[in-house]
Amino acid sequence: MIRGIDAGLAACHSCELVVRVRDAADDAGVECPRCHASVRFRKRHARTHVIALLVAALALYFPANALTIMYTEQFPERRADTILSGVSFLWARGSWGLASIVFAASIMVPVMKLGALGFLVVSAARHSGWRPRARTRLYRALEVIGHWSMLDVFVVALLTAVVQLGQFARVTPGPAVLPFAGVVILTMLASASFDARAIWDRGIRE
Amino acid sequence: MSDPFDPSFEELPVPVGRQRRPGWPSAVWLVPILAVVAAGALAIRAYLGAGPTIEITFDSAEGLEVGKSDVRYKNVPVGKITSVELTADQRAIRVTVELQRGAASLAAVDSRFWVERPRIGVGGVSGFGTLLSGAYIGVDRGTSSDQADRFVGLEKPPGVTHDQVGRRFRITANDAGSLGVQSPVYLRRQQVGSIATLALSPDGKRIDIEVFINSPYDRDVTDTAVFWNASGLDVSIDATGLHVDTQSLATVVAGGIAFGFRDSDPPGHPAAEGAQFNLFEDRGHALARPDPTRLPLAMRFHQPLRGVGPGTPIDFEGVRIGQIDAMNLGYDAASHGFFSDVDATVYPERLGAAYAALVDEGQHRGKTGPQMLQALVAHGLRAQLRSASLITGQLFIALRWFPGGRGTPPVAERDGVWIVPTERGGTDQIQDQVESIVAKIDKIPFDAIGGGARDAMQAASSLLGHLDRDVVPTAQQLVGQAGAAMAALRDSLSALRDNVAAPDSAIQQTTRSTLEQLENAARSLRGLTDYLQHHPEALLRGRASGSEPQ
Repeated sequence: MIRGIDAGLAACHSCELVVRVRDAADDAGVECPRCHASVRFRKRHARTHVIALLVAALALYFPANALTIMYTEQFPERRADTILSGVSFLWARGSWGLASIVFAASIMVPVMKLGALGFLVVSAARHSGWRPRARTRLYRALEVIGHWSMLDVFVVALLTAVVQLGQFARVTPGPAVLPFAGVVILTMLASASFDARAIWDRGIRE
Repeated sequence: MSDPFDPSFEELPVPVGRQRRPGWPSAVWLVPILAVVAAGALAIRAYLGAGPTIEITFDSAEGLEVGKSDVRYKNVPVGKITSVELTADQRAIRVTVELQRGAASLAAVDSRFWVERPRIGVGGVSGFGTLLSGAYIGVDRGTSSDQADRFVGLEKPPGVTHDQVGRRFRITANDAGSLGVQSPVYLRRQQVGSIATLALSPDGKRIDIEVFINSPYDRDVTDTAVFWNASGLDVSIDATGLHVDTQSLATVVAGGIAFGFRDSDPPGHPAAEGAQFNLFEDRGHALARPDPTRLPLAMRFHQPLRGVGPGTPIDFEGVRIGQIDAMNLGYDAASHGFFSDVDATVYPERLGAAYAALVDEGQHRGKTGPQMLQALVAHGLRAQLRSASLITGQLFIALRWFPGGRGTPPVAERDGVWIVPTERGGTDQIQDQVESIVAKIDKIPFDAIGGGARDAMQAASSLLGHLDRDVVPTAQQLVGQAGAAMAALRDSLSALRDNVAAPDSAIQQTTRSTLEQLENAARSLRGLTDYLQHHPEALLRGRASGSEPQ
């Protein structure tokens, strides 16, 4: 199987025009003749970007889970919930479905994304030949699921806007919302930075 | 793959613009650095925001709920309850509280915590808001800079909180009365503070009260201030009528303390924090002139002392100078008689200027107090039980002068106490007198006096009947006759007037002619006498002719 990089061919990342890059080592700074986007055999510094973004996401992951994400005042009760305590509260209240959804979207998905992307980028960097097809499928799954991990932020934003009944019920976002959004955004950027073709680049240097 | 370029790809377009832009592969590391910094900042903020965790023990956790109840200082939430559980010995409730960072100073050693619940007391309703919001833990911030993490909660809100400006004073009382924590303290009927704590002393013999006087009134508490119990009503009756005295309506129910100053005391300096005072039982005792000199006296009475007891006043020349402290019944084997030994305390200062004069005299003569007393006794000073009021039966011991006792028994001393000789009398004499009066009254023959009086009345009655029956008709008859006689008399008088007084009456005319004749006669007589004067010879020779009498 011949790769584009082997044949000196590269696709524009923007308009998908296949161009002929003569020197495989010299793809820096060239532009697509049609749309003037940069043309590369592979995403530039993909591995560095992914790892850097993953590290950043991981750093924000801790405050996102440790701090309060939402203050709920429902007279006469006042609650300050972290993501996990909110899930356990919902679970204790008997809202198992809702608890499961929040747990999956807000806790599992970010963890999975961090873990899976880390695994993908490391395995690609090590030119692992282990089940590249499965790894590609995992990457696609991450791309799909990733959109949903903002759920918690949306829930908080929605509740904050809707539940404002003065003294009786009020929802205020907590300090964990921003790091949580940061985690989601950074993991999405990381997964976008990842070049799935690297999975298949066995023995090819970037 | 020796030739990587397939000739068939020659028609594919080639990229343009080969300007080499400097790549900054490491720039992306700014993102994780920023993220770490942000996360670190959040962590530091969270760490700084989390205050100390303290444990408070309460007898009851009524109304406290995890996640619902909070800790409030001045009604502002400063912490939250993270757990409520039984202590190991299951006697109390241990509440774990997480204070906010900014409220860390609330965990001072002398801070106090209590559960704020709705309370209804005589002083008013408190904690009303907790009916809706639920109970919370109130905190009074201590002043100590030392921190603690274990506290024993109060069951009631403290009467005085540390943030109130003022001073605390200690008051010792014999009786708590109706006083309680938060009972008011008054100065001139103005509330200036309240009771902060009230507890039995460790030996159980006194009540230790701590009062808190709010600034600026704490400056009014001087070292000469006197405190008294102003609880309830002070009702007194004297010559000017009924007096009802109370500090305020609240003290009638809730009790209270008042303080003031004796007129005799100099204005003192503001008392120091924690100064010690005594609580007098009422205003009168508190403001009474102090008695620095105490003179113990003993008296032996050979008469029953019914109605006399500790507190019975001792009176000298109308001044209450002391009171009885104790009484003991004794038996004299020699005379087979009972007697009463009375111990009393006398405050000579109450004699005022008289005492000063006595002291002066004593110093002048070089005599000690007891010697002066001996001198007084030698002049006839005796103790006597007397009755202050026959109606109320109030008794007192009077120190009086008995001229008959002059020079008799000297003042004896017993255990350093001077014994004042006594005189029988007072109530005994009054009783005797009353008895003799009653006996005399008994001897009066009221029956006989009553019978005589009745007879006299009867005689008078019959006399009146006789008069009515016999005398009155006669009298009427007499009156009628007298009227007729009067009429006749009137007729006679009018006739007399007609006959005599009328100008043309016969009597008048006769009288007039008689008078004329008398006049003529008198004239003739005068002519005769004149002739005879000039012609006395006529008496002998008769009248000469030619010479007419003139």
